[in-house]
Amino acid sequence: MLKVVVPMAASILATEFVMAQTEIVGNVDSKCIIISETPGVYGNPNPYQLTTATTDGGVQPIIRYDVLAADYYKAVIEHPIAFSSAPTLDDVVTWTGDVEVSEMSDTNMADYDTNKVEYDNAHEYEMTVAGSTWFKISSAADYGYTKSFPAGTYTAIVEAECIPL
Amino acid sequence: MYSAVIRFLLLLFVSGYASAHELTPTYPELRPSYMNDILEAKLKMWNARVDVEYYKIEVTDEDWNDVPFITTEKVFRLNYLGRKDISIFLPSDTSARYICTRSMLEKGNAQKSIISSKVCSKIK
Repeated sequence: MLKVVVPMAASILATEFVMAQTEIVGNVDSKCIIISETPGVYGNPNPYQLTTATTDGGVQPIIRYDVLAADYYKAVIEHPIAFSSAPTLDDVVTWTGDVEVSEMSDTNMADYDTNKVEYDNAHEYEMTVAGSTWFKISSAADYGYTKSFPAGTYTAIVEAECIPL
Repeated sequence: MYSAVIRFLLLLFVSGYASAHELTPTYPELRPSYMNDILEAKLKMWNARVDVEYYKIEVTDEDWNDVPFITTEKVFRLNYLGRKDISIFLPSDTSARYICTRSMLEKGNAQKSIISSKVCSKIK
């Protein structure tokens, strides 16, 4: 009996030692992660208007950028200037939009909006501080000269890019 | 300094990466491949966007013009929380500067997401 019990106990002990040595390895590297926190919804306060403004029944999309090292990346966010899907439209749509920092994990990010570069519908931010930054996008589309949008589903896409410097 | 790092790490853990897209390393190196005059860059992609299953690889030069490259799948499916090793093969005289992955939004699922994400790496 003892001949069986002793080797079993020894093998269990040996297994426990092996398990105790199991490691978890992780590397903290420079990297950029784009997180889509809130997808966004267009409200329809007037027949001719679609807008993400909260006061008009819309929801502003929110994108978070996590940057693990400072001065490695720039964020480029483009507010929509066209519908990606919509009913057939036979008149001009006038687009307006903006991007702004809504929250930050570090107070040193406070000047991101002041220092951003704007061209066309793109807003370019240099990520000079490590941490998380939340960007809030506003978008509005006006159809013709106060013309009613045809009934249907309208979708427009916000482009969020993270580009190494 | 330490408090800022701890706050940032806490934020990451608390937020739980609800819907993220990541491409590493930031600066991949081009190394000789098993083929003559062909260089290879290795990257890793992680999809934590619950609303996106397909991604597209784009390789461009300094001026964002498309550059020819070879990989197993230029558009690939990556399930939620999936990881993928990506190998990009380029000619030895390539002008490639950026390797990017862009989220592909399905037309039928357009209502699910209106945010397209693109993360790039810059070739050393």
